[in-house]
Amino acid sequence: MQRRSFLQTSALASSLLLVPKFLHALDRSPSLGSLRDARGRRLIVVQLSGGNDGLNTLVPYRNDLYYQARPTLALKPTDGLLPLSEELALHPAMTRLKQLHDQGQLAVLNSVGYPNPDRSHFRAMDIWQTGSGAGQTLSTGWLGRYLDGSAAGLPYPEALEVDDTLSLALKGQNRKGLALRNPSKFHQLTQNRLLSQLSREGLGAGHQHEAPADYLYQTLAETASAADYLYDKAKIYKSATSYPQSAFGRSLKTTAELINSGVESRVYYTALGGFDTHVRQHEQQARLLADLSDSLGALADDLRQAGNWNDTVVLIFSEFGRRVAQNASNGTDHGTANGVLLLGGALKKAGVLNPAPNLADLDADGDLRHQIDFRGIYAPLLKDWLGADDTTILGRDFEAMRGLV
Amino acid sequence: MMTTTSAPALQHLYWRAGFGPRPQEVAAGLSPRRALRQLLHDSQTYEPLPSPLLAGPEIDEKRRADLTPELRKARNQQRQQQFQQLSLSWMTRMAASPAQLREKMTLFWHGHFACRGNDAAAALSLNNTLRRLALGKFPDLLLAVSREPAMLQFLNNQQNKKAHPNENFARELMELFTLGRGHYTEPDVKEAARAFTGWAYSRGADGTDGGFVFRAREHDNGPKTFLGQTGSFGGEDVLRIILAQPAAATFLVTKIYRFFVNDAAAPDPARIATLATSFRASGYDLSRLLEDIFSADWFYDPANQGTHIKSPVELVAGLRRGLALRFEQELPLLNYQKALGQTLFQPPNVAGWPGGRNWIDSSSLLLRLQLPATLLQKAAFDVQLKEDENDLKPQMDAADRTQAATRLGTHLPLAPLQALLDLTPTDAQPLALSHFLLQSPIRPENLVLVQTAASRETTPEGRLRTTLLSLLSLPEYQLA
Repeated sequence: MQRRSFLQTSALASSLLLVPKFLHALDRSPSLGSLRDARGRRLIVVQLSGGNDGLNTLVPYRNDLYYQARPTLALKPTDGLLPLSEELALHPAMTRLKQLHDQGQLAVLNSVGYPNPDRSHFRAMDIWQTGSGAGQTLSTGWLGRYLDGSAAGLPYPEALEVDDTLSLALKGQNRKGLALRNPSKFHQLTQNRLLSQLSREGLGAGHQHEAPADYLYQTLAETASAADYLYDKAKIYKSATSYPQSAFGRSLKTTAELINSGVESRVYYTALGGFDTHVRQHEQQARLLADLSDSLGALADDLRQAGNWNDTVVLIFSEFGRRVAQNASNGTDHGTANGVLLLGGALKKAGVLNPAPNLADLDADGDLRHQIDFRGIYAPLLKDWLGADDTTILGRDFEAMRGLV
Repeated sequence: MMTTTSAPALQHLYWRAGFGPRPQEVAAGLSPRRALRQLLHDSQTYEPLPSPLLAGPEIDEKRRADLTPELRKARNQQRQQQFQQLSLSWMTRMAASPAQLREKMTLFWHGHFACRGNDAAAALSLNNTLRRLALGKFPDLLLAVSREPAMLQFLNNQQNKKAHPNENFARELMELFTLGRGHYTEPDVKEAARAFTGWAYSRGADGTDGGFVFRAREHDNGPKTFLGQTGSFGGEDVLRIILAQPAAATFLVTKIYRFFVNDAAAPDPARIATLATSFRASGYDLSRLLEDIFSADWFYDPANQGTHIKSPVELVAGLRRGLALRFEQELPLLNYQKALGQTLFQPPNVAGWPGGRNWIDSSSLLLRLQLPATLLQKAAFDVQLKEDENDLKPQMDAADRTQAATRLGTHLPLAPLQALLDLTPTDAQPLALSHFLLQSPIRPENLVLVQTAASRETTPEGRLRTTLLSLLSLPEYQLA
């Protein structure tokens, strides 16, 4: 039997299209309701998974202690380091980020971390994604809690992750981001006959809105409507910019296409993995940092030529830095504080914003001490950039790096 | 044919006290009371999860930095395979074991005493301790868990020494395992940590974690003031004092109630108080608590039925058990669960899996709704898994992490379902099957969808398969 006759025999086919727009009646936390006003600005978060070695990314190229701690792993000026300041130079592979720096579109924050740092990948990532302290466990992400305060009834998802599954960072109590590798694949997923029927069903008769079944139908309806919206929008703009032929390059290209197509989502999340360089670090990190830098450079070009770069800030972080001293396998083991990068067309502060890591004052384990709490960077991104209530989202007022964005 | 009025209640019991009903159990039509007695009886025996594949090439547990890259890779692969075997072996048991309540309770404790580590033998030891004491007295379980190498390692008690107390275990013990926040102070945490100094584990000759050891030289013998009492307390004293607090029973009962009864609505405080009082009076007898819950009238209240969003593990185990599925290749099952957000032996943090609506987002819901088609129809499961950050897995490239069209080789026997529907006229079979598969009444419009899909089939077997797949693909199947 064919699809057409299936639709004809379905008593639902016509009536389901007339389901009231219950999306507008969704619950929202009233406390956060009207606090945000992003004014068209957007945040792109780039997660470097595995623990990127910050000391070989932002190299303290005039510090003897660095060269002593890393006899074979230290990068020397003759390797092609790209100086940012008297103290710090970018890894030689990061030429595109060096260009952005020279244009005043890169900000470097050194020694970012938190008290009692955790060296386990999953726990440290959990801390960065939830915005918790080391002695605290949260089940929602910091951007998820931002979503909890988002306005009601938007026809588009407020936050997108360019991947197949959703990170904890984008899961709130009541609202969640949406994960998609690309709009057409995601749209196709919702085009299954049964699913497309189900997604048009509304809340069950006589049910409470809180009933779990209604929650599932509601999520399904929102998903289908978001898939339609993104699929239709994404047809508008196809990038002509040349990105690296890598998974990360494709993710950023998808991100730029969504933004330049006029998708109104405020938060984009994507990850580049493979930074767990316990052995033979040089080759692997160089490849990853080149991918990172070239892909971000292409993103900046793409957004700039469409007039969207000035409304964009990119946050680049990793769950921890690596140890100051190299190990016996020409690699580095799990460390603590790390550099964080911000990119954007209209940063209020650019360049190297605080002193390079102090290699003469390490903690009891010989690791870097943090100078900036990472939540002190989340705070201005939430408040000054996205217009959200940072203290509600982060649980308290972090001494924010005011005037960053 | 399912005509007994108690069938929904019976299925509710099987879903909550175990991993779901099988057709023959529903056909047998026991009263929930008798079925509960049977479940309790069948769960009396403790059978440890075996460790057939834990043996492997011996790799010395040197410091990681001292391993050659090749040895490191081999060790990581070995560990990864060990954990995969553990997970698969437990998942098979969830689906097949007669000791359903014991396995379900083990899963509860697996989330409650959430623990992660790299040593599969230690993880198995903890898991079997949870299983062995799952239905016993909570004080015995708590003490045994506090002495498990995996837990001592995970919560840093190995580093908890008189000269340098480490508070991690003491804090989580009270916050997450027994009392909950607000029932102890920061000084209580510090004093409890002192009491647990010297609780450690030895390293076995083969480099794996050995057993619990009490290191008297590392132990702080001095007087401590803990929860209002003063004495030269050791760890056992701290556990005893904690369990003398009424708050402990309330905390545990609330968590167990949310897991087994209702995690969507706030529990009635009076009901929790009644359960907690008798739980405490029984010396924290877990079997009795569960029997109290599963035999209470309110457990079978419609408001408690069909309201629990199945965890990924419950979803897959329920499908396997209810349909007697067999797979030629089980490994992809682990990928499905990971894509849906739950990997056994890898809880997201020390607080375990939050559960409920936390399982659901746009992509996880789409994957969940398509899982039955993936299992039964070889539909593609085109998901690129996130990179594993737990150091177990060597770097994988994107192709390896993409689970496109993996072949499970599923065997679906239709005979049990056919037997269940034996006396049901063809036209009524979709509705009858929905009663078996769904814990809430099927929406009329969905019944039409299912019937219409089935009517396109020309053979009875085709109709049954299509009906089955349609029903399993409804959002209601995500609920138990």
